[in-house]
Amino acid sequence: MVDQNKLREEINKIVARDNVKYVIGWEKGTYGFQVTPLFATCSEDVDKLIFNPLCIHNLAVFPMLEEKLPLRNGAKEDTRKIGLIVKGCDSRAIVQIIQEKGLDRDDLVIIGIPCTGVIDPKKINERFPNQTKTVDVEEDEKNFIIKTDEGEHKVPKEKFIMNKCKSCEFPNPIIYDVLIGKEIKSAKKPDYKETTSFEKKKLEDKWDYWEKQFERCIRCYACRDVCPLCYCNECMVDQLNPQWVRRSVNVSENTAWNIMRAFHLAGRCVDCGECERACPAGIPLTELNKKLEKDVLELFDYKPGINAEEKPLLSMFKPDDPEDFIL
Amino acid sequence: MEDLTLPKNKLTGFIKKIQSDYTIFAPTSNDGIILYKQIKSPSEIYLDFVNSNVPPKSLLFKQTETLFKFKKGVKAEINPIDFPNSKNVIFGIRPCDAKSFFILDHVFRDDSIDPYYATKRKNTTLIGLSCTQPGVNCFCTSMDGGPTNPDDVDILFTDIGGKYFVEISNEKGKNLINKAKNLFSKATTNDKKKKQQVEKKSNDLITRNMKTKGVKEKLDKIFENEIWKKISLKCLSCGICTYQCPTCHCFDIQDESTLTDGARIRVWDTCMNPEYTLHASGHNPRPARMNRTRNRVYHKFNYYPKNYNVIACVGCGRCINDCPVNIDIIDIIDQVKEVKA
Amino acid sequence: MKNDNFEPNIVAFLCNWCSYAGADLAGTSRIEYPPNVKIIRVMCSGRVNPMFVVNALQEGADGVLIGGCHPGECHYVQGNYFARRRMTVLKKLLDYLGIDERRVRMTWISAAEGKKFADVIKGVTEDVRNLGPMKQIRRTNSW
Repeated sequence: MVDQNKLREEINKIVARDNVKYVIGWEKGTYGFQVTPLFATCSEDVDKLIFNPLCIHNLAVFPMLEEKLPLRNGAKEDTRKIGLIVKGCDSRAIVQIIQEKGLDRDDLVIIGIPCTGVIDPKKINERFPNQTKTVDVEEDEKNFIIKTDEGEHKVPKEKFIMNKCKSCEFPNPIIYDVLIGKEIKSAKKPDYKETTSFEKKKLEDKWDYWEKQFERCIRCYACRDVCPLCYCNECMVDQLNPQWVRRSVNVSENTAWNIMRAFHLAGRCVDCGECERACPAGIPLTELNKKLEKDVLELFDYKPGINAEEKPLLSMFKPDDPEDFIL
Repeated sequence: MEDLTLPKNKLTGFIKKIQSDYTIFAPTSNDGIILYKQIKSPSEIYLDFVNSNVPPKSLLFKQTETLFKFKKGVKAEINPIDFPNSKNVIFGIRPCDAKSFFILDHVFRDDSIDPYYATKRKNTTLIGLSCTQPGVNCFCTSMDGGPTNPDDVDILFTDIGGKYFVEISNEKGKNLINKAKNLFSKATTNDKKKKQQVEKKSNDLITRNMKTKGVKEKLDKIFENEIWKKISLKCLSCGICTYQCPTCHCFDIQDESTLTDGARIRVWDTCMNPEYTLHASGHNPRPARMNRTRNRVYHKFNYYPKNYNVIACVGCGRCINDCPVNIDIIDIIDQVKEVKA
Repeated sequence: MKNDNFEPNIVAFLCNWCSYAGADLAGTSRIEYPPNVKIIRVMCSGRVNPMFVVNALQEGADGVLIGGCHPGECHYVQGNYFARRRMTVLKKLLDYLGIDERRVRMTWISAAEGKKFADVIKGVTEDVRNLGPMKQIRRTNSW
């Protein structure tokens, strides 16, 4: 468990700085197992800051959402930095954005927290349904300790942790200005077993599976909006001239949209799982992104979000890239 | 109209009986996601749910609706579409979603009649299903509704154990029941008591409240207030709230065509998108998330009540359940009431 | 076979400097090749957006071919290398979704290889004919 007081102490120092606009962290939500992003500008805000296994949001999405509105005559641009609390996977998103020159390293003050895994919201809500009051969650080595109105419950981490955390290779933030807590040693390696077994299925079975999923897509674009790496000023799907994907909702257009998004995330997705968590239709988007993550690793020996100095995957090439499919 | 009961094991027979005259839409489960779809057999009906994922507005106000078809050429041909006169039944709609149709009626049926919505609305009979287990974020009781409220449906089924308690609200409902009269029995005093017990239990299970008194007037005074900036800082502008909301009704109109023919279609749109108010000149009057989040709250709790005397919210709680960053409309209205004007 | 009268539609994106010139050479040399291919000239194979391929499959193409210069010979130095990477990723993605990745082909054809162009078109047309019409993401255009 992260020492909440130490966390707040450090954040208070950063919030007090003149050149920091606000620090983004988490605070208690409005019901049940919810936590919600907090934009702390003063020490009263910082007092509400928490960090526990419910803090699943990838806050790296917010620096790119800042709007640059036209300024009045004589007004100066607000160039203050943004403070950001990141877990391991979140920091990879930041590194990837910096690699693509979407953000300058100097724009951010990064507070890193080594993460031991977050709770899967679907699983925990199934186990403890109908929680109206906010629930406190703590952890020890092997369990999550859930404090509801009815009392304290211990649930095994193995059963309730997010799937992505089970094979998390980078629990420690890769990039940070301040580190809260001790670094965690992790021997976990990414697990592509499910991807490989799905690859081996027959073509018709694969399409049947995905057709059923894409039938439910309502094209709300929440997957795109919650993703820290989808930050194009004008998304291709919104373009009307030329129009890449029609606005009608049917399997053909839904598939084209998901192909478009998965392709644009090739070599950029850091597997934070937010897209799947946000999807209101329950489409297993992380399966698609994981497939490309695996292929990119095997074919081009590239892992997104590790090295800010590297060149992004699709803007570089090697003369001996695989070309066995080329006639 | 007198109350009736229908034994649960006769439900399949009832659906089969009316299927010959009506097209039936009912809740179905697709991998655990509950959606209202047209059903061919009563076995597709799934009733063990709190509320559907996509609201049943998608049945009357379709997500993709063809307005008319055309053929390109020197003399273009425009072919209006036929409005099917088929009678529909939406079975298993919740009282809150049924109320949303009355709210949508103001937009689509008041001043100018939208035939695409209005024809379906006229031809559809609503068979409601009372909520016996309201969701955590349900607050229909604060919005002039209730989990077992028969006012907005034509027929209301309430599960009272081995049978459904059937309340008929109007002639439309009566005509439908008459098609399968023999399956129903008169409700006894005991049945009525059980229904009242279910009603009390469901009402008690709703714990969240939204205090809507004076919100419209308060909102008039705080348009430029700081709280909008604070609330919208965490909004991702993703639009889930608008797609899942049973009363949201913004739409976009697009032409889709091949080289020779095409159609003009109407699709759902969301005011949370930056492009929603993007003018052809390039100017955008709502460029920031603050503008858009604020506009959504005002539309539902200030502009709509000013125009039609009803708050454009039924308290279904879908927006609270699905918002990825836990922006809570009840919390927002609480803040609106507290803030100094 | 399913439909003996099935004539596949192949859309070919050919780069202006090499493969389009190669196709032109096949024509002027009067080398015969199947007429199923519809050619779209682009300045470089690196200009081909993967969404071109997806849109082509949606609009009625049963197969898509991208023709570029040989590695090291791109008129714009590196365009074909980027195209190669993109198509590798796209084919893997399509295969994972259950769309036959043999519908999307890529080839290096230089301006002197008229015969190779004709052979490639013959081969791709036959392959796509055996795969059948693209039904999965075809736009139905029935409103």
